[in-house]
Amino acid sequence: MGSRLTVARREIAGLRAEKTILLAIGIQLFIAAFSSFLVVGLVSMYDPGALDGAEVEVAAAGDAVADLEHAAAEVPGASVTRYEDPAAARAAFDRNAADATAIATRDEGGGVSVAVTAPDATVETTVIVVQLRDLLRTYERIERVERADSLSRPPLPVPDSTGTSPYFTFTYTVLIPVLVFLPVFISGSLVVDSITEELDRGTLELLRVAPVTIGEIVDGKALAAVAIAPGQALLWLLLLELNGTPVANVPTILLLMTALTTLVVGVAAGIAAAAPDRRAAQFLYSVAVLVLFGGATAVAGGPTNAVARLAIDSADPATTLTVVVYVALAAVAYLGVRRLITANGIGE
Amino acid sequence: MIRRAARRVRRVTRCSRRVGRVARWEASRATGGVDRRTLLAALAFLAVAGGVVGAGVATDAVGLDVDRDVYRVGIDPASPYADAVEAEPSLTAVPAEEATLGSTADLIVRDGRSDGGPTGVFVRAVDTPKGEAAAASFREAVDAHNERLMAAEPNETAAFPVTVTLRYAARGSALADGETVGEGDGGDARDGGLAATDGDESGDGSGRDGSETDGGGTAGGDDSGTGDGGDDDSGDGTAGGDDSGDGDGGDDDSGDGDGGDDIDDGGGGDDDGGGGGWWPFGNGDGSGGLAVPSIGGGAFGANSAGSPGSITPPFPFASLVLAFAFLVPMNFLAQAYGSSVLAERTNRRGEPLLVTPLSPTEIVAGKTLPYVAVAVAATALIAIAVGGGAVSVLAVFPIAATFLAATFVGAVFARSFKELTFVTVAVSVLLTSYAFVPAIFTNVTPVALISPLTLVVFDLQGEAISIGEFLFATGPTAIAAVLLFGLGLGVYREEDLFTQKPVARKFLDALVVRLSPVGEGVRESPATGIAARIPRRVRGLVAVAFLTACTIPFVFVAELLAVAVLFALPVTVSIPVLLVVIAFVEELAKSVHLYAGFERGVFARTDRVALAVGLASGLGFFLAEKATAVVQAVGLTELYVGRAAFGSVAGVAGLSPLVLVGLFLAPLALHGVTASLSAVGARRNRTTYVLALAAATLVHAAYNVGVVSLHG
Repeated sequence: MGSRLTVARREIAGLRAEKTILLAIGIQLFIAAFSSFLVVGLVSMYDPGALDGAEVEVAAAGDAVADLEHAAAEVPGASVTRYEDPAAARAAFDRNAADATAIATRDEGGGVSVAVTAPDATVETTVIVVQLRDLLRTYERIERVERADSLSRPPLPVPDSTGTSPYFTFTYTVLIPVLVFLPVFISGSLVVDSITEELDRGTLELLRVAPVTIGEIVDGKALAAVAIAPGQALLWLLLLELNGTPVANVPTILLLMTALTTLVVGVAAGIAAAAPDRRAAQFLYSVAVLVLFGGATAVAGGPTNAVARLAIDSADPATTLTVVVYVALAAVAYLGVRRLITANGIGE
Repeated sequence: MIRRAARRVRRVTRCSRRVGRVARWEASRATGGVDRRTLLAALAFLAVAGGVVGAGVATDAVGLDVDRDVYRVGIDPASPYADAVEAEPSLTAVPAEEATLGSTADLIVRDGRSDGGPTGVFVRAVDTPKGEAAAASFREAVDAHNERLMAAEPNETAAFPVTVTLRYAARGSALADGETVGEGDGGDARDGGLAATDGDESGDGSGRDGSETDGGGTAGGDDSGTGDGGDDDSGDGTAGGDDSGDGDGGDDDSGDGDGGDDIDDGGGGDDDGGGGGWWPFGNGDGSGGLAVPSIGGGAFGANSAGSPGSITPPFPFASLVLAFAFLVPMNFLAQAYGSSVLAERTNRRGEPLLVTPLSPTEIVAGKTLPYVAVAVAATALIAIAVGGGAVSVLAVFPIAATFLAATFVGAVFARSFKELTFVTVAVSVLLTSYAFVPAIFTNVTPVALISPLTLVVFDLQGEAISIGEFLFATGPTAIAAVLLFGLGLGVYREEDLFTQKPVARKFLDALVVRLSPVGEGVRESPATGIAARIPRRVRGLVAVAFLTACTIPFVFVAELLAVAVLFALPVTVSIPVLLVVIAFVEELAKSVHLYAGFERGVFARTDRVALAVGLASGLGFFLAEKATAVVQAVGLTELYVGRAAFGSVAGVAGLSPLVLVGLFLAPLALHGVTASLSAVGARRNRTTYVLALAAATLVHAAYNVGVVSLHG
């Protein structure tokens, strides 16, 4: 054990000397800040009403305009003004008195057709179209209820809308998993670098003369890489907690995260020991991690989803099972790789 | 004259031959037998992954829903709402009798029922943000469920009583002003291009076709698997961009026929010219379908012909996803390139190359060339695959160059592979977000053009791009790439390559290379190149000013990133912090090379020299800033047509010329004073430099606050 700890301490001292761990934390901070920037931007685009009470003024005409006015009364973001004929509505649109026009006419089939005109390629177009969609969907719902007798299965009544933060789901299902898993990949990459660097500089030969076995060297390097991961994740979770985002099941999340780190570090060590140089090793490692992680995320109950459910406090026995499975998987994978390396050596 | 030209040509050919030789050597090393094995291993990984995912698809266990089952809904399994909950991935049903609000359920749903069917619904949510979010999810689930119910209805008129035809038109007055993105000339150009593709419709106004592509491309993002008229049109219009995604072009074509009819039916009144266009939601019957994943699109539940639910805002989702594909290979490429450069530096492996007659520039150019070639080839392949044109390849090129340049600097500075990994990751993250994030706002604001990727999105949407827009988008990135290579090349020499120094000190060394001596008693080296033509007295000061001017692109990027990072904070905190951060970034850019100059003995450590270099640095910054302001005004004039760019000028029209000159020169005074302040600190030692820099930042921030409050 002592020699393993020595190797691990040496690794961490190297990291400290280069101060690169600070850069890693900086990158993560940047990603966290940038994702919130991103989500605010995206939300403002999909749901402009969520940011400020934008009101869209619609100039309407046609024989079904009265119903459209009814619908507008139910939609907070849109108001409808009636005009004599389509030409008058269009004139209002042209002189900027309205954001859009809607010409609603009843057709012979018993339906209503609405011809909507929205301004082309201006900054507000997206906002206007989103509000128009809300208005028209409400209109559709009202018209549908009137025709409910002709339907074999009437639509279900929709519950009243309530206020909610558009960032809530994003924070738990994207931001927290990203912040928790970034240190995992960084640790794996560190192990690849650490082993290929020893090979490249020829210092591994020196280590072999020292009274340690290959297995102990790998153990030490892996130990250092795994040890620095949960601290970073914990830092993020605490920061979020301070920021008013409660995170549940923190110990379980850290356990799952440590298991994944061990798994990834094991894979990284295996690749680094087998690959000819750092370029090949890093390339293979990137591909392997993409594949592993992408595959695990795509399969139901993957680690990303498990972390989201743990953090949001919706965990059930299936989530616990996921954690147990990953812990077992990590142990098996790491021991397997270690055995392989002890048998075949590094870089041979 | 002719002899000199001939000599120059000979030199260029000799130089390019040398570069070519290095490039061949680098390429042969990278594609040796060993790396072929690596590639095979990577392919094996991918094959395994494909197998796993394929098996997952077959057993129905695959879904990229990161939000699967995050909200628990207590509901009676017999309730009609149970189906809606079942179909929404983010909701999981808990039997009503076991559900306790707050512990095992976040939401409890009870429906009021009469003999005819459900009459109402009562939702009780836990009183937390989670409960609210769960209630909103449930509402969306019910909406989507209703859309599905209706789609299965035999009576179509009753199920979808409202048919919407959405059309984008320019306002009569707005057209005259021409105040928005490419509405006047840009629009015409793109119409012309499209008229060529479907010339049979030439009689009915080409403007229509233009915005149809526009709208169709956006519809593609959200309506996965719906295939209404709009989508199919876009598949056609953007030269098969979408077809390549799903591979059932036959279906799309048939849908296109429908859409085409629809245009002719409704397009009678299309007499407004400009950017008008009908966007039919007409008669697609779900035959086609786009393979673009429905990320975020599920909420719209769009599965209907021409119903309001199928309206999608003009958001270029599909094009954005495709544009992102261009960035993926860059990350791998940068990693390989960084490894190769750093490998030269370990165990002095690159030394034999340095003692050959090859110049460092030739070595680096040769080493970089294969990677540039691979980048271009990969970009071209992706462009062919996703339906982009030459514009896409040209626009991605500066991004690739910047990736490689930043990696090169990182590899020259880094002490170990570990350090290089962090540098590479940082470069990838920063550049990817710099390129990708503005592109999200492509159709929203012209400022999106600061990223070259926006051009790719335009290209995928089939819109024409003016030369001005192209230069505006790619110029800064290209300049940044050149400057970064220059920075790294300065220390591509024996004494720096094979020494282990902290990154910061290497950075100072790299800056000093670009400086010339100022003041008495400092060692001088003979000047070469352009520097030799500048009189000796001012040579050092010109170098300082020039170096400061070169930092401008990076200053802008840093300020943009600061804005992005501080965006999430409340305004009362973010504005003051931002003003200080911006001041700090600018002060640092003006003084860090001065510090390097004093530290490495290029400048004499006297106050007179400090003042001189400080003023020179301030002047350089001022000139560069004004030059970019002019470029921006020119670039943005084209975009905004004067509205935004000259708004601020109009505000000062009433002031006297003297005040105007004062306002114009005030920044010069500020930059000169603060840079001199930092320089005086820098000439002593590190501590005084840090203190002086802090003082200069405060002065600058105070000035910023003054300007902001003056402008109201």
